[in-house]
Amino acid sequence: MPSAVWYNKCVDLLTVSVRARESAGEPYTLVEIAGEADVTNTDELHRLLDEEVAAQPRTMIIDMSGLRFMDSSALHALLRVNRSLDRQGGVLALVSPQAAVAKILRLTTADRLIPVFDSVAEAAAG
Amino acid sequence: MARDASRARRPQAPEESAFPLAPTPGRGSPLSPLVHGVMAFVYTTDLSAVRSLVHLHALRAGLTESRAIDLMLAVSEVAANTVRHAKSPGCLDIWYDAREIICQIRDRGFIADPLAGRRKPAMDALGGHGLWIVNQVCDEVEMRSDETGTTIRLHMTLSH
Repeated sequence: MPSAVWYNKCVDLLTVSVRARESAGEPYTLVEIAGEADVTNTDELHRLLDEEVAAQPRTMIIDMSGLRFMDSSALHALLRVNRSLDRQGGVLALVSPQAAVAKILRLTTADRLIPVFDSVAEAAAG
Repeated sequence: MARDASRARRPQAPEESAFPLAPTPGRGSPLSPLVHGVMAFVYTTDLSAVRSLVHLHALRAGLTESRAIDLMLAVSEVAANTVRHAKSPGCLDIWYDAREIICQIRDRGFIADPLAGRRKPAMDALGGHGLWIVNQVCDEVEMRSDETGTTIRLHMTLSH
């Protein structure tokens, strides 16, 4: 599947890359977040994700497999994105959280609000 | 009026409430002094270094990987409050013995609510998760806060 790289931005410890993809004719936005997301880079993370939300994707998939750590402020950025997408009829899905990230998703029960998948393919299939 | 009169005849006792308030987390007795062998680290915004340090010492102390992650998550949340609210560097002290590992975080911030982090935020709340997470993952959380600053001590028992 061909994928156009829109951008790849480094926010200190955090790398965010966005690609436009397709699954069974349905376009989706794939965001890969890698590194460590915390209060020191959460504003930038939120800004980058908001830019994608503004494009009104039907589905946004965040691949977290490269994300070693996420704190509650980064979680709030994801919850805000989820809320915005929901309001415009879109869907957010998370993929492959590592142990520390899975822990905070579970503790805050955010994983009951935002679906979590084992692979991008699974998430894209819905 | 009659009740007031009967009270006045009682021997003078120090002013005491019939239901004395339990000591609140924010206004409790002084914390026990630091022990020898404390690892101290001053941070500003380098929270990644704070996390690495906590994870390393948690494993050295004998916590399992899963509980080492819990402690790292808790310290990171407290240190994030320093970055957000305290407008001062923070100091992290770590020490442990055979029984437990303790991480203490001090900064110049002030937490007015003695019950901060004791109530669960709504699932989709866009704030207030930080200290709540700290209280969920740690075995004991001690908090002292006044105009001079805030000290938070996080305890993890090693026998788990």
